[in-house]
Amino acid sequence: MTDHATAPTAPIANDAAVAAPRRSYLATVIKDTLAKSSAKLGVFWIGCIAFAAVFAPFLANSHPYLMRTADGRWSSPLLAHLTAPDLILVGLTAVTAVVFALKNLSAAQRLITLLAAAALLIPLSVTLIEPPLTVVYDRYRSMTADGEIQWALYAPIPFSPTDRMRDQPENRLNEPGATHWLGTEENGADLMSRMIHACRIALAVGFIATGIALFIGVTVGGVMGYFSGIVDLLGMRVVEIFSAIPVFFLLLTFVAFFDRNLYLMMVIIGVTSWVGYARFIRAEFLKLRQQDFVQAAIACGLPLRSILFRHMLPNGVSPVLVEASFGVAAAILYESTLSFLGLGLVDEPSWGQMLSQAISPAGGFTWWIAIFPGLAIFLTVFAYNLVGESLRDAIDPHLKKAPT
Amino acid sequence: MNDRPLLKIDNLAVSFPVTRDATRRVRAVNGVSLSIFPQQTLAVVGESGCGKSVSAMASLQLVPTPPGRYESGAIWWTPDPAKPPTDLLKCSDRQMQRIRGGQIAMIFQEPMTSLNPVYTIGDQIREAILLHQHIDRGQATRVAAEALAEVGIAAPESRLKEYPHQLSGGMRQRVMIAMALACKPKLLLADEPTTALDVTIQAQILELLRRIQNEHGMSVLLITHDLGVVAENADAVAVMYAGRVVEYGSVDDVFDNPLHPYTRGLFASMPILGKRHDRLMTIPGNVPNPAHFPTGCPFHPRCIDVNDDTRCSTDEPPLLEVSPRHWAACWHCTGYDHATQSPPSVTHRRSHQTAAPA
Repeated sequence: MTDHATAPTAPIANDAAVAAPRRSYLATVIKDTLAKSSAKLGVFWIGCIAFAAVFAPFLANSHPYLMRTADGRWSSPLLAHLTAPDLILVGLTAVTAVVFALKNLSAAQRLITLLAAAALLIPLSVTLIEPPLTVVYDRYRSMTADGEIQWALYAPIPFSPTDRMRDQPENRLNEPGATHWLGTEENGADLMSRMIHACRIALAVGFIATGIALFIGVTVGGVMGYFSGIVDLLGMRVVEIFSAIPVFFLLLTFVAFFDRNLYLMMVIIGVTSWVGYARFIRAEFLKLRQQDFVQAAIACGLPLRSILFRHMLPNGVSPVLVEASFGVAAAILYESTLSFLGLGLVDEPSWGQMLSQAISPAGGFTWWIAIFPGLAIFLTVFAYNLVGESLRDAIDPHLKKAPT
Repeated sequence: MNDRPLLKIDNLAVSFPVTRDATRRVRAVNGVSLSIFPQQTLAVVGESGCGKSVSAMASLQLVPTPPGRYESGAIWWTPDPAKPPTDLLKCSDRQMQRIRGGQIAMIFQEPMTSLNPVYTIGDQIREAILLHQHIDRGQATRVAAEALAEVGIAAPESRLKEYPHQLSGGMRQRVMIAMALACKPKLLLADEPTTALDVTIQAQILELLRRIQNEHGMSVLLITHDLGVVAENADAVAVMYAGRVVEYGSVDDVFDNPLHPYTRGLFASMPILGKRHDRLMTIPGNVPNPAHFPTGCPFHPRCIDVNDDTRCSTDEPPLLEVSPRHWAACWHCTGYDHATQSPPSVTHRRSHQTAAPA
């Protein structure tokens, strides 16, 4: 029977398998997606944004990393002022990096380690970390002026996003220059620092809103597609009802009634934008349920849960992932639009909010406050679309060179 | 040998709605009765759309309901002759999940699409094993490797880590068989297991099935339209036409003395090695559309034996025992006038000495 594997008459699929041994479908798709330079650029840009989001307090902060005061004492105000979310983000990123650097772990082990780390880090950080409530950034400047700080190591951008430099009114609306790389806004806060810290909101809104939408869409669509018939009929009516809701006006209404809340925003974007995913998954499942391997799985006696989510979902999820990459971009745009209209968050910087500050109430226009946040929004949305398009091409069977 | 049927399909009827007109239903299977005895191979033969697959799928409740509906009948399953049989059509989903794969396994026609493309074959075999046997993952991997070795796959440990697209069609069908056999089922439903394979691989797969059947003492319901496959493998044959069994008997009886004109037509349309043929004989016409079955004998519009007999077009002939242990449903077959009504069951098993060691 060994001649099967090596027979010269073996089908072409076998030759392809020899050329690329043991590469899973997922690995193939990732490789094909990244084969395009546009997608590489997109992934690179998203990677930069993610890096900035995670390490924002280390990149732009008025607190020095380390300082030595005149009395000879060393201290690290930056670490002392870290908040719980800062620590959780950095900690989880570190654990993720370690888990994926270790080669001999299975996917399940990686996931369990990550979840365990999250379960440990989140309650610990939230309960134990108590940064000082009142922060006086001017302290460092006055201390330096008084010669109290002998030596200090600052972050690359030595300004916090909320460091408005109240003692230096001449710092308001500075043009981009050596001190403030991207200039300052009307209250004197550093624009670069604000933009780096705003990466968090941009990423969080995109991923969490899309995550909620994906979860609802995949569940509803999967059930509709698998059971079809009356379930499908009713489900599609719900989908139609939801697709009739104007998301933006709903968001405006909710902000008017329930104050400004980022999480509420994410949830609303999530629960109104799942219909596209549900339609995709439904169509895929309607097709998949007729497939032999699904019939074989049923004939094996597998429970419904395993058939739906283990056997059908991985085969039908790819078009939804493409759609999701566009969904992330759309969610970022929603948030920016709301912030631009002045309905976003007050304390936390966000790109859209900065953009709205480009035009002062007096009517003046500040070009750098318009250009840089605008460019950041544009590039991020563009990057997601580039990745999404490349992903779509990679999984589209019509564009495949050799069918597998 | 004990002679209680392992699986007894009793007057099964399954209906589907007509595509154009949802109020009308057609019966894809209409009053089928069959029995499979322990260690027997029963071949079900017939053209496409005659209800072969639906009968087998009904045994595992795999007919989608809706749109399908079980109109009548029962499928009696007797895994343990000491206990009373259970009706598979009345089993709950939970009971069915235990029976599917564990007691009755099924292999499908299309090996290219019967394996999930996103998991390694090891994952898939292991999942089936873990579902029905209480062992840990390491043991399950060993059982999976043994199952692969048993179906003649070399280097089973490394094959377990491969994906379906890395295997050829014959290999995939072997994997499907290994998966079906991993839980040592009592009955294997093989739905045209070799149709999609080329002829040399077909022979290997059939030989493999025969060897494994001998070793495990399992019964096989072999659905096929290849009479050569039937002659080689089966103990008993049921010929189906338009959702009904039209002839049923041991393989020797049916092959030596085909009673129904449809069976004779099938034999006549088969080339015989060493005999010159200008053109193979065909059965005129097509399988009737289930929505417009003819009245009377469903075969009469295509039958060459009909000679102005109005009975054929008005009354449907029941399946009767025309000669001992040989059933047929045709008004014109020899001996039909004094045939007796009896539940069709052929206990015959031939010795499987023909199986060559693989």
